Amino acid sequence: MRRVIVLILLYLLMQAVLPLGEGTPAALVLMAFGFLILGAYSVGELATTIRLPKIVGYLVAGLAVGPAALNFVSLPVMEQLEPVSQLAIALIAFLAGAELQLKEVLERGTLLLKIMTAELGVSFIGIVVTLVSLHNFLPVLQGAPLAEVVGFSILFGSVAIIHSPAVTMALLSESGAKGVVARTTLGVVLVADVAVVLTFSGALALVRVLVPPSGGGGPGVLAVVWEIGGAILVGAVLGGVVALYLRFIRRELFIFAILVAFFGSEIARLLHVETLLTLLVAGFVAENAGGGGGEQLRHAMERAGEPIFVVFFALAGAQIVPSAVLQLWPLVIPLVLVRTAGLWAGTKLGAKWANAEPAAGQYMWMGLISQAGVAIGLASVMANVYPERGEALKTLFLATLTINQTLGPIMFRIALLRSGEATPESFRGGGGGGGSGGH
Amino acid sequence: MSASLVLILVVATAYLATHLLYEWLAKRLLIVSGAEYLVLGVLLGPQVSGVISTEAAESFGPIIVLGIGWIGLTVGMQFYLPRLVRISALAFRLALIESLITLAVVTGVLWWALPALGLTSQFWAIVPALALGAIAVASTPSGLDIALRDRKRREPVVNQLETSLGVNAFVAIVTAGLLFSWVHRAPTSALRPPTPTEWAVITVGVGVLGGSLFHLFLGEERKVDRLVVSLGGAIILASGAAAYLNVSPVLATLVVGIVLVNTSRGRAELRTVLAGAERPFYYVLLLLAGLSWRPSTSFTVVAVVALYVVTRTVSKVYATRGTTAWNKATPQLGRDWGKALIGQGRLTVALALDYARRPELPIGDVVFTAALLSVLLTEFAAARLVRAALLPIVEPLRDLAHRLPWVDTAEHTAETAIPASESGAVSGVFVPPSNEGATTLFGPEVDAGASGERRRDPTPPAEGH
Repeated sequence: MRRVIVLILLYLLMQAVLPLGEGTPAALVLMAFGFLILGAYSVGELATTIRLPKIVGYLVAGLAVGPAALNFVSLPVMEQLEPVSQLAIALIAFLAGAELQLKEVLERGTLLLKIMTAELGVSFIGIVVTLVSLHNFLPVLQGAPLAEVVGFSILFGSVAIIHSPAVTMALLSESGAKGVVARTTLGVVLVADVAVVLTFSGALALVRVLVPPSGGGGPGVLAVVWEIGGAILVGAVLGGVVALYLRFIRRELFIFAILVAFFGSEIARLLHVETLLTLLVAGFVAENAGGGGGEQLRHAMERAGEPIFVVFFALAGAQIVPSAVLQLWPLVIPLVLVRTAGLWAGTKLGAKWANAEPAAGQYMWMGLISQAGVAIGLASVMANVYPERGEALKTLFLATLTINQTLGPIMFRIALLRSGEATPESFRGGGGGGGSGGH
Repeated sequence: MSASLVLILVVATAYLATHLLYEWLAKRLLIVSGAEYLVLGVLLGPQVSGVISTEAAESFGPIIVLGIGWIGLTVGMQFYLPRLVRISALAFRLALIESLITLAVVTGVLWWALPALGLTSQFWAIVPALALGAIAVASTPSGLDIALRDRKRREPVVNQLETSLGVNAFVAIVTAGLLFSWVHRAPTSALRPPTPTEWAVITVGVGVLGGSLFHLFLGEERKVDRLVVSLGGAIILASGAAAYLNVSPVLATLVVGIVLVNTSRGRAELRTVLAGAERPFYYVLLLLAGLSWRPSTSFTVVAVVALYVVTRTVSKVYATRGTTAWNKATPQLGRDWGKALIGQGRLTVALALDYARRPELPIGDVVFTAALLSVLLTEFAAARLVRAALLPIVEPLRDLAHRLPWVDTAEHTAETAIPASESGAVSGVFVPPSNEGATTLFGPEVDAGASGERRRDPTPPAEGH
């Protein structure tokens, strides 16, 4: 009830203020930012009461206040809030990298890599083939040459295969599950984050060569190599500096976290290297070379990032064009089904290949359905590079994400219950998870 | 290199360097750090090096509004009603009279001087004069924080200073807020332009609504993560709405702060969250103030600045001296405690920025320059001013407290050692009722035991600002 009152008050405030004000655009942006934080967060909490992830609430809130509905957050305001999205992407990438523990990677690395390769590979092929087959349902690809269709399908597939580490961790924290299914799922999700960023970077480079962006000719091979190799280099240096700070100073981590994300994002843009990969590598290096300070920085970053993630997802929701989504249903349903089938088949194949425990092969796929965070970041990059087609692909992706993100936590819960690694009581008595489910 | 990157690098480097040096500087040299960011901003800005262009500086507008709002909130958070009602009437009276005298004197002098110097017409002079009057009332609490950081004992003069700092901030913000409501530009879209009174009500309404939203949003929750989200949302929304309506963000967030501190059960957690971001916000605000500052060396501007600084200083010193004597509180407070109010800092910068960012108000640059130069001239010495003002009255009491073992606190010392004829009015003012703890607007609550005795080991200040 409290959340509903908050939303009503927010609605009244905006209704009262908007006609009276003639302030600067900057003031309007600031007001919209605050409105999105409180409004989207409240809708996110309302979503949890009906057992939906918060992120679905954020997206719905964004959709409701965006240009498609109430228009409290108009297109110019959304453009002004773009730096918030950039910052969110940087934070999410850094956090994803920081979640990779070198020890875990070395101990179970081969097993995780095999399962990940199989599940990502099968679902990637399934998604690409489905989109190529049904591309005529996507207006921006209708009548396009086959090479372009394949190129954009690969780009879409490289984004659509991603998982959600935050949702996985939040559910594991909530249930207290520590068994084979839980650990293997978490490991695969984290390693896959890195793999997907690399795949996406490669796919984007390939598509740039096939279909040069409207801003100019496609980049040369050296530029592509630099974009990826340079990102690893710059990320490693940035991570090293962060690690030194964590070892020798380790103070004011809240501010430091925001500065690292801002700085990493800006330096990557200026040096023309892949932003996500840069921050991901930086997070990995900082976590594993930071002398135990990485966890503190991660917590500080999560805290600093919480309002930013809320706004980021709400903005993603505001960008959804319902009419376009409705038009895309013939694509959305097959894509969701194919991805789910790909996860099922791929994990079974991978578990057999890696000689994993039977439970992992049987239940793990259910824990891989959720997706968000880095995926939305990647989709945003896609939309930035290709304003028309990329934006359409982003809308398509957000439509599939809404379904996956809604079903994902429910399915993972079922997997943990069926594998015996969690009980209904452990879910009810858990600590509530550590994350917002936001990234 | 992009403006954003320069700003990030500068803020990061300067902040970390200052943070590492801050405690050392404060402890050893009694220097309040901060003004250097102002200078850094000027050096990087379009007026000197041009590393950050005018357009880039203007693009930081939302951060400025947010910083202004944050400062308003930190001031508002100090007005916890159950503690306010335990402060003696005379402490409030001394603080309020001093504030109003400073406001009136500075406003009056500048109202006369600005047209005389040819800076504005007689009709419009009241606006910048009143703005400078409001800005003049504000004093920085940093000096007191640093000068008395190690002291556990609470002297009456310290309590009075803390009360004065709070009342000064309140009067300054309310005056500026009412001024912005009074000279508000009428929106073209509204059917009937709201009156100044209605704008004032709208400003307060934005604050009340922002605070209520926060309260409803948070419920009984005390987790810091949720506090960050909701506090951030409430400040951003209230500051943004006030700026969009062209009313005072600092007044709106002052009200948010007052609502929060009086309705939330997680006051301590809130203060922790606020304290964590207060200094960085101030530094960023100073840097941005420096970027948008267009210093002038023309005679008229220098004359206004000099007049402002001199009038304010004289007013602070003599208004407190006169008011204290008139209320027969000189034996307890001394004559010169007003010197401790000379330092200016974050609130001054916030109010000046709020005025200067309104193109419709006259001589924004001059008001801004006067305020910033006052900060530059007084803030770094604020702690020394506080110590110089307090030592003559505090040290003898401390000495007495050491020599008379049955006397526990300096305040108790004053009560015991000063003859009743002298302290009659005073002790009734500064010594709280026997079943209440000594309390101030800013200082720590000292709970009394059930027997009504004072606690023998008062806790150190826990709620600075």
